[in-house]
Amino acid sequence: MSNAYANLFENENTFFKTLSEADVNVEYVIQDIDTEDDEMKSFLFSLGCFKGETLTVISILAENFVISIKDGRYSIDSDLAEVILI
Amino acid sequence: MKVALTGNPNSGKTTLFNAITGKIEHVGNWAGVTVDKKEGDIKKSLNKSSLSMTAVDLPGAYSMSPFTSEENITRDFVKNEKPDVLINIVDSTNLNRSLFFTTQLLELGIPVVVALNKTDMSRKKKTVLDVARLSKALNCPVVETVSTKSSQNGLEELILKVVEVRGSAQSVPYISEKVDFSQAQSVQSSDRRRYDFVKELVGKVETRKIKSNQQTRQDAVDRVVANKWLGIPVFMLVMWSVFSISQTHVGPLFADILVGWIDGFYVLVESLLGGDVSPVLKALLLDGIIGGVGAVVGFLPLIMVLFFMLALLEDCGYMARVALVMDRFFKKVGLSGKSIIPMVIGTGCAIPGVMATRTIKNERQRRTTAMLTPFMPCGAKLPVIALFAGIFFNDAAWVGTSMYFLAIGIIILGALIVVRITGEKNARSYFILELPEYRFPSFKRAAVSTMSRAKAFIIKAGTIILLCNAAVQIMQTFNWQLQVVAEGAENTSILASISSPFAFVLIPLGFGAWQLAAAAITGFIAKENIVGTLAVVFSITNFIDTEELALISGSADVAGIMGLTTVAALSYLVFNLFTPPCFAAIGAMNSEMGDKKWLWAGIGFQFGMGYVASFLTYQIGSLFSTGSFGQGFIPGLVLVSTLVGYVVYLMKKGDSKTSLKLSVSAKGV
Repeated sequence: MSNAYANLFENENTFFKTLSEADVNVEYVIQDIDTEDDEMKSFLFSLGCFKGETLTVISILAENFVISIKDGRYSIDSDLAEVILI
Repeated sequence: MKVALTGNPNSGKTTLFNAITGKIEHVGNWAGVTVDKKEGDIKKSLNKSSLSMTAVDLPGAYSMSPFTSEENITRDFVKNEKPDVLINIVDSTNLNRSLFFTTQLLELGIPVVVALNKTDMSRKKKTVLDVARLSKALNCPVVETVSTKSSQNGLEELILKVVEVRGSAQSVPYISEKVDFSQAQSVQSSDRRRYDFVKELVGKVETRKIKSNQQTRQDAVDRVVANKWLGIPVFMLVMWSVFSISQTHVGPLFADILVGWIDGFYVLVESLLGGDVSPVLKALLLDGIIGGVGAVVGFLPLIMVLFFMLALLEDCGYMARVALVMDRFFKKVGLSGKSIIPMVIGTGCAIPGVMATRTIKNERQRRTTAMLTPFMPCGAKLPVIALFAGIFFNDAAWVGTSMYFLAIGIIILGALIVVRITGEKNARSYFILELPEYRFPSFKRAAVSTMSRAKAFIIKAGTIILLCNAAVQIMQTFNWQLQVVAEGAENTSILASISSPFAFVLIPLGFGAWQLAAAAITGFIAKENIVGTLAVVFSITNFIDTEELALISGSADVAGIMGLTTVAALSYLVFNLFTPPCFAAIGAMNSEMGDKKWLWAGIGFQFGMGYVASFLTYQIGSLFSTGSFGQGFIPGLVLVSTLVGYVVYLMKKGDSKTSLKLSVSAKGV
């Protein structure tokens, strides 16, 4: 447990910004999905949202982010946008 | 032979299923319409072989590792039931994602045929696909399909290919080297290579004119309908037009005609019976069966228009946007934006509404949504609303509309209470939803779905409702000694003595008459029964066209017969709308909640909510309209305070659970 937390603080993620700080219409490369929720992580994976892939924020609506991954459009909330590092 | 339909959510599996089997399963333009598997025989016109073929429609899945419970169904079926052939429906506008699942299916050792669906949409975007090359690379037949079209849709060729590949061994185009499934790392890196394969393949077979991350007109529409400020007014306007068209404008137009026919039938049967038939039998047939069932069927046009409008709404792609708009509000009360979809479906019928909660991942959110969805007035409650609006409020449109908004208010309040009782106030969950492309809704599809639901309604009216009305008529004709009750002694009938104790509890709500209690009770069997029973117990055959009433019941004043003040009538309406739903919907709640404690708590909550809302309506209404509280104010107040006090106690208890959880997690860190 303590190791995992130590890793969290030491890893390079702190240098990246999160998707919630992204600009609209700019293509970003995903650097990491920073969550302990493994199910969500693998779900995002099955949509094509994982490290190394690109995504674009299409618009920000009602505290939600409309994003383009692969050839699909998804709406995600700001909590989820926080864990996608770009 | 068995053919399973698999593919990503909203790739058009059910539409294709309906097209090849001729069935009328529910379709809609958002991810997660189908939550259970459906079976049907493939049409003879498509099946040129001598084999009998059964198609199995499965819920959509993005991959073989399931995320929500309905994806489990798909994986388990494909893995355990060993269908002979898999049809993999691939959304041709999103090959990059869909083919990931395809590569997983190809590894199962079951022959696969790819149906490249929605090719009309990809063509519209000027995307060119090299189908022959794709087929060669995947090592399986690929057929272009447009399952929304009725001809030249590629379905005949699809079935032909299915027969062809049966029993054949397809070699896997892409072999993922030995994966150690116990190691998440190993699974991930193999999946990553799978995606690399797909990406390379799509690069070769697809030429896009419009890049998928370009802004389109669709996105511009989203910015309006899902706008921070406009989103809610747009949603309100949409729902208001659905209900006003079905209940105030188009619906009643047809209802008038239908009611004329029913009345004609009543008169015809009456004259055929002549004077020789025993009065008891005559009353059973005329008032009990024709009158009761007729009163319910008279509202069929209103319900059909409502179903038609809802089908259009579900078909155009707007539903996912409503979920987006509602997410931030529902999050505040511990639900998810996805909770709104079951509720909108619930305005048609609570059973599919409750079943639609299955796409909600979080267990507490799912159970809470299943518990609150039935508060949304369903199609069967529509006759009750229309009846009361017609009789007591001169068909005012605000009555119906306000009931829906009251329902939303009650749902929000209910969600707040549940989240505090469960002590998960601070629990967070992520929200992600695919936004399907908008399309012009199909009138044909909506009409087909409306007709199938109308058929179900008529069958229900001819069976359950008919039986209930006959039973009510018999129970009110006889007393416990099985003698016909004398005129003026109606209080001695079986029905009266059964429902009187219930009526007593309802006095503080303004409607302590046994007839009204009886109608509320039969409502639990089917909500349409409320109208049917009222028709029987008050011997009224026609609720819609009150001008014609004079012909039959000898009085145009239905309100007078029922003996209710306007305020009490509103209270009775509130009570019937917001107490528990019919038994069938309770059954759906039971299976989706999967927990008896939740089920009973849910039913108890619905009863309490209905009682309190009705009490407040009647007593506050009376205070305003007459200047003093209504009958039974004090005992009612005691009961209501006890109910509210108990809920507050549970909420306080839940709060201490919350702080406990917080301190535990604080220690954990």
